[in-house]
Amino acid sequence: MIKRIISTAIIALALSLGMNATVLDSLKYDVRLGYALGGTIPTHMGNEIRGINSFDPGFNFTVAVEVSYPLDPHWSLHSGLRFELGSMDVDSRVKNYDIEVVRGDESLKGIFNGNVRIKTAQRRLTLPIQAEYRINANLAVRGGAFMGWLTNRRFWGWAYHGYLREGTPVGPKIEMGTEPGDRGDFDFDANMRHMQWGIDAGVDWRFSRRWGVFAELTYGLSGLFKSDFHSVQTLRPLYGTLGIVYRIR
Amino acid sequence: MAVCCMALALMNASCFGDEPDGCEADIETVTLHVPAPGDFFFQLTDSMQVVFSTDSVITFAVRGDADVTSLSPRFTLSQGATVSPASGSTHDFSSGPVTYTVTSQDGKWQRHYLVSVVPTLVMVTDTLSYDFEHYELETATQRYYMWHNVLPDGSLGNDWATANAGYRISMSTAAPMDYPTTPLAQGYDGSAVCLTTRDTGPFGRMANKRLAAGNMFLGTFDIRIAMSDHLHATRFGIPFTDRPDRFTGYYTFEPGPTVQDFNGNPIAGRTDSADVYAVFYRNHDAAGNEVVLYGDNILSSDMIVAVAEMEYVAPTSQWTAWDLKFKYRQEVDEQLLANRGYSLAIVFSSSSAGGEFIGAIGSRLCVDKVRLICSHEE
Repeated sequence: MIKRIISTAIIALALSLGMNATVLDSLKYDVRLGYALGGTIPTHMGNEIRGINSFDPGFNFTVAVEVSYPLDPHWSLHSGLRFELGSMDVDSRVKNYDIEVVRGDESLKGIFNGNVRIKTAQRRLTLPIQAEYRINANLAVRGGAFMGWLTNRRFWGWAYHGYLREGTPVGPKIEMGTEPGDRGDFDFDANMRHMQWGIDAGVDWRFSRRWGVFAELTYGLSGLFKSDFHSVQTLRPLYGTLGIVYRIR
Repeated sequence: MAVCCMALALMNASCFGDEPDGCEADIETVTLHVPAPGDFFFQLTDSMQVVFSTDSVITFAVRGDADVTSLSPRFTLSQGATVSPASGSTHDFSSGPVTYTVTSQDGKWQRHYLVSVVPTLVMVTDTLSYDFEHYELETATQRYYMWHNVLPDGSLGNDWATANAGYRISMSTAAPMDYPTTPLAQGYDGSAVCLTTRDTGPFGRMANKRLAAGNMFLGTFDIRIAMSDHLHATRFGIPFTDRPDRFTGYYTFEPGPTVQDFNGNPIAGRTDSADVYAVFYRNHDAAGNEVVLYGDNILSSDMIVAVAEMEYVAPTSQWTAWDLKFKYRQEVDEQLLANRGYSLAIVFSSSSAGGEFIGAIGSRLCVDKVRLICSHEE
């Protein structure tokens, strides 16, 4: 549904741009460079997570080239191409945590008590469609939707220094060590979606004719994993990006 | 597994909500306090037992003349769990086991335990027979076989252990006959037991534990540490009150085609070898601490009193007899023997280096009609 709306919007924009030379003249081009803080959050926060041992947001940056088409003095339409590089490394303490690790045809599931380390890395190419409202000469707010394609995706980690109750809380107790081979490793790369979509909103503040700063919040609605994958609860990317914007033309 | 975002990392712990109630319902340890423990237990360490998560039958073997009519076992339980009847309540164990029910803190899970205190006469037998005729699918999962020995009074015991439960962790889809330790309906005499070195599948490759040797031993298998410390998961030996003299039986051994190393690479020119041995050892050290021999010291411990080992298990597809004499390294203390101060381990494995995950997938050792011939005189 969302995909269809976005593609319709792109076609409409392209057609309207192609029809009229004055439209081309009125287009504005921006380059954005941003640093993203954020990661992937569960859709609900259960009390199974008892604490964060460590968190490393990784190196996350965004480069975007954007084009905007003014509709009237206040409103304009934005699109472009963003390249986002993101990673995360989080180590948390869990209790009574439902866990299922699948490898080929084999699976190991149960209730885990202990520590879970999760690392993610992804590269995403995103096509945003946004509406911008200019409040005054310096300040503008914008919001819209985006569609992204993961060109590279990694999601892996391990359950360690704890124990699994295999199957149910009264099933066999199996300790997990800390070293590779002794702990419960998992690797869910293949279960991640290629296509992601979501919503975003941001604010731009121009302090000179060409330069400005921006802040943006991006929330993925499509989830990180394919819908038939249940090893981890539904996870959605949430990023806040801070950066600079430069007007090319 | 949940992943947490930056915002979470910045929050304080109160954001995580109240700690969830415990959902486990285990008896973790049982302690039996009696006024004169020396007259009641064979060994003072027998008064406390650590209970495996897979066990729901707890047995104290006590002296034959011990009074078991009024005893008050004390339990430690999973966090927040409760037990009924209460820990420390007094019961008569002379007419059989007492059932205890443990309920988890969240009230959703229960486990039932049978606790027995059994006055045990020290048996003096000339020959112990292990024929592998009594086997069944493990009750809870129905996924793999387990064996029972016939005790001198004709009842069935649980002296044999295998690592089949550990194999299930990596190969949950395996059929019972695809496990490392399986029954063989037509053995040398009735049923036999077959040990086969098996591939541990995708999980095994991920953990770099690519094979599981078939094994069968007198002792217990501790599933808890099967993954984190596998050499200590095989707890070799059962208390033994006779002086073993000879170890006999029948075997076939067919090595698998290709021995592979730790990383799964073939080792050219090497033929897999099997293990057939019995070890008699002291089960308490000089300070009175209980001693168990494991995968890493079963043939090297100072506690070993005697060993009967087949130095070379020659490959053969025909049932072949073995007759090994125990070679004694230490004197046997008759008093200690009567007080269950010695243990005996019989160990069979289809790949000698299986503990290091080296062996040939498909190596198959079958054994039948195993005898321990004992002597009562020096």
